[in-house]
Amino acid sequence: MKIECDNLLSFLTDELEEKEKIAFREHLMNCPECAREYDQMTEAWKSLKWDFEEIAPPDTLKSDVMNFVLEGANENPVRKVKKWSRFFSRQFTPVTSGLFLATLVLAIILFYSNMQLKKELLATDRPVKVETTFSLQPADQTAVNMKTAGAAYILQQGHEKSLVVQIQNLPALQESEVYQVWLLNNGERTNGGTFKPDEAGTGSLTYKLPANDRFNQIGITKEPDPNGTQPRGIKIVGSS
Amino acid sequence: MIVPVVRFQKLFGEGLQVRLKEKLDQELMALVIKKHRPALEELYDRYIKLIYGFVIKFTNGNEEKTKEIVQLVFLKLWTTKSSFSPEKGNFVNWLLTVTRNVCVDYVRKDSIHVQNNQQIGMSQSIDIQDPNNDIENGLINSEITKAKNKLSKPQKRLIDLLYWKGYSLTEIAKIENEPIGTIKSRLHQSLKQLKKYLEVGDL
Repeated sequence: MKIECDNLLSFLTDELEEKEKIAFREHLMNCPECAREYDQMTEAWKSLKWDFEEIAPPDTLKSDVMNFVLEGANENPVRKVKKWSRFFSRQFTPVTSGLFLATLVLAIILFYSNMQLKKELLATDRPVKVETTFSLQPADQTAVNMKTAGAAYILQQGHEKSLVVQIQNLPALQESEVYQVWLLNNGERTNGGTFKPDEAGTGSLTYKLPANDRFNQIGITKEPDPNGTQPRGIKIVGSS
Repeated sequence: MIVPVVRFQKLFGEGLQVRLKEKLDQELMALVIKKHRPALEELYDRYIKLIYGFVIKFTNGNEEKTKEIVQLVFLKLWTTKSSFSPEKGNFVNWLLTVTRNVCVDYVRKDSIHVQNNQQIGMSQSIDIQDPNNDIENGLINSEITKAKNKLSKPQKRLIDLLYWKGYSLTEIAKIENEPIGTIKSRLHQSLKQLKKYLEVGDL
């Protein structure tokens, strides 16, 4: 009799560890004596399960069991989440997790602004290209003595787009008044920046355009203040 | 418009119930694996008396524990990944094996079980209710019960502690204050004799 044979009854009563079980199954195939004993004893062991009588359960049991089964099956994922959150709360106190989060947010912000800066630096190395030119004429063509005129350019440098406006002979403004540039796209007007001309009436503006900004016309109005989102004053010049 | 739809569902529902009742156990189990709730209910209706009877004997008549274990048995059927296949033998045998495994896991997790270990002394009886304790009335209807009753008292006690109380051989050696070798050879003898009595009973 080998040492393994000693495990026969523990194997039968399912008391072995998984490793020992596998080892004993192998042993069973190589030890005719154990195999014979096992066959004889399993029969009796398995018949033990019939040593009871059928009993009708309480009527309420069925709904209790069904509810338990369906709730239990649904609860499992929640338990998993709870287990993870418990794992994390064991790793971090509230203070350290707060500090950790703050550091994480700061790192993301720094990373993002760094990327933006890099992009801009990269752009300044690129040549500036004039993409579109608008010729600006006085809005009131009947005013003969109105010599106001200028041009606007859309400049492209890398991915950056900017609008440059230059106008001569603009009428002088009151204290709070400004000229405001409007970008027109199918009748929709969006702000393109405000400026004040010099004493000679020469005005100039550089406005950084949003990446996807589309427009096909430009208009410039005289505004009572620089805070308008829609034109309030009269139109001075515009692209044809 | 609503009435015909309802009637259709009713017919369909009843049809399904009838079909479930006609299904084989393994077909029901295959549906249960696919999370088919009516199939689980059908299995319940078919075998609850069996499972309940088994578990209530294992818990020695404790209805509260029996309810908890029965719930765990059906949860196991509902969530098991290894489905039953006819190669594993008779479905009811498999079902009772699953039931006993849940029972044993339940009492082993229960720390009270460990305390009981120390409480059960050699002299104490273990109160296992056999289905046919009224032998005088001659109401024995189970072959195994009959065979078991022919065993000696220590043999019967060993089988009950092992099979119906879920103690391990080592635990029983401690409870009985006997060497593990003695317990093992007693089990060996008990099972051999049981087999013999069962065979004689067959004649």
